[in-house]
Amino acid sequence: MSSRRQQSRQSGASRITDDQIADLVSKLQQLIPEIRSRRSNKSSASKVLQETCNYIRNLHQEVDDLSHRLSGLLQSTDADSAQATIIRSLLM
Amino acid sequence: MNHCVPDFHEMNDDDSIPTPSSFSRPKKTTTGEEEIMELLWQNGQVVVQSQNQRPPNRSASSGEVVIPSDREIRSSAEEQQHLFIQEDEMASWLQYPLDDSSFDRDFYADLLYSTPPPPPLTTATAQPRAAAEIRPPPIPAPVARPDNPPRVQNFVHFSRLPIRQRTARESSTVVESNETPAAAPESRVSHTVTDSGPPVNADSATVRTGGTSAAAGTCDYTVASSPGSSPTSFSGDTHQPQHKPAAAAEDRKRKVREVDDNECQSEDIEFEAAEGKKQGCGSASTKRSRAAEVHNLSERRRRDRINEKMRALQELIPRCNKSDKASMLDEAIEYLKSLQLQVQMMSMGCGMVPMMYPVGVQQYMPAAMGLGMGMMDMGMSRPMVPYPPMMAGSAMPNPAATVAHMGPRFPIRPFHMRPVPVPDPSALQPTNHADQVSNSTAIPQNQPRFQNFPDPYQQYLGFHPTQLPIPLNQVVVQHDANKPSTSKDIGNPHNQQTGIKTMLLLRHFTLYTE
Repeated sequence: MSSRRQQSRQSGASRITDDQIADLVSKLQQLIPEIRSRRSNKSSASKVLQETCNYIRNLHQEVDDLSHRLSGLLQSTDADSAQATIIRSLLM
Repeated sequence: MNHCVPDFHEMNDDDSIPTPSSFSRPKKTTTGEEEIMELLWQNGQVVVQSQNQRPPNRSASSGEVVIPSDREIRSSAEEQQHLFIQEDEMASWLQYPLDDSSFDRDFYADLLYSTPPPPPLTTATAQPRAAAEIRPPPIPAPVARPDNPPRVQNFVHFSRLPIRQRTARESSTVVESNETPAAAPESRVSHTVTDSGPPVNADSATVRTGGTSAAAGTCDYTVASSPGSSPTSFSGDTHQPQHKPAAAAEDRKRKVREVDDNECQSEDIEFEAAEGKKQGCGSASTKRSRAAEVHNLSERRRRDRINEKMRALQELIPRCNKSDKASMLDEAIEYLKSLQLQVQMMSMGCGMVPMMYPVGVQQYMPAAMGLGMGMMDMGMSRPMVPYPPMMAGSAMPNPAATVAHMGPRFPIRPFHMRPVPVPDPSALQPTNHADQVSNSTAIPQNQPRFQNFPDPYQQYLGFHPTQLPIPLNQVVVQHDANKPSTSKDIGNPHNQQTGIKTMLLLRHFTLYTE
């Protein structure tokens, strides 16, 4: 990053952000299944960010759902069973 | 334009011209005098009347009449027009209606609203003055006769619309819309010729634009915008030819868009020709500057969009205190990975638990303890209980806890599972969660090394994060396949067992992220 910053000195702050953003956006792009399935080189930063936000929200939702399920399962198992421990670990 | 007036005045005498009364389009032209002369289109003839004069006959159903009369008018207009208006002026004027029947129809429909039609249409010629006394009234609410009877149809087209300003952009579009029937009513109103002084000359561009926008949907838009802009435009630029060319250029662009639907393209061509001359004056620079402006605006908008999304993302990421974009994105990436992992683990757990029932608990325990931990001494049949607590401490469901710590931290926690089943969860941050992914591949390799629990960790360290997406199921399968000899305690590879182990293993890695 320092190199980027030095670079940017002449071009201003924009250079840094552009490079960084491009790099990170590409990383994000790899992580997000939706975008990854499409042509990888097509999305803009704003689109990737939007998809990231959506994806994170979805994951949050999933985590909540899974937590509920696991807690339900936990209640149905023996307190000391292996399953229980596993579930507990997961839920923690 | 002034010279035209006499013609129009003369025409007043022609009231005698048959006026079906149903369809008369008053056309307003602003002459030098503040009076508004209207060119009334009566049964295909153009009759000039002062605003005050209204043809007595107004048919109730002007609308209906209009349509059929359009054609008549058009044809008759041709004939008549030359009578009333100077040839050169009329020519351009005439061409417009003749070109397109449908257009006229639409146009007439608009006229029904009876507000003075917005101008610019036909004056293809560069002489705005010509017959065009018809000033395309700016969009502002027509002061003129708002109560114009619907019957009176104003001829919008003669566009020498003065609306040619920068701001006239809207107005110009409005002008364009004038032609379009959709916008008609408003445009009509706006067209009430304001007294703006010099008639609009060269806005052939405007005129052109007017013509082109036949039924473009943009018309509505333009109409809406024009009211606001027109007042200014009119007042401002009545006399600015430079603006006109510039505006013309813009209008042209706009027109181009609308032209597709336009049927009056022929007229546009005329206008363009006319404009071309005007363009020469200084439009090039204005065009460039305008293009630059547009570019800047769009660039700014794009940046704003990105910033807004970054802020939203920042809110989603727990404990993100970074103000720098790059670091924030870094954190977002890590958080996203951990979240993905967590979800995977949990879903696997959900799937596993039901399956565990059929299997004897005993089997699970060693299995769980064995591979799952990887680190644990396989030979030991430690109760699993100690282990899970350790993992539980990691609070997987709370990735946020240590998201900030995620990253290239590879502190390998010595897994003192056996003696102390509960090493601090925080201490258990063996490797990057990414490493877990590889457990599928790592596990088989590590099997022989299960004895030294620290080793398996190291095995995972090097694994590629790309393996993360590998579904856990696959991992489980691999486990079975690859671990014939796994822990001695585990005689038979059970999918569930391996699955659990995998899960625990992953969980273990997840701890790191917490």
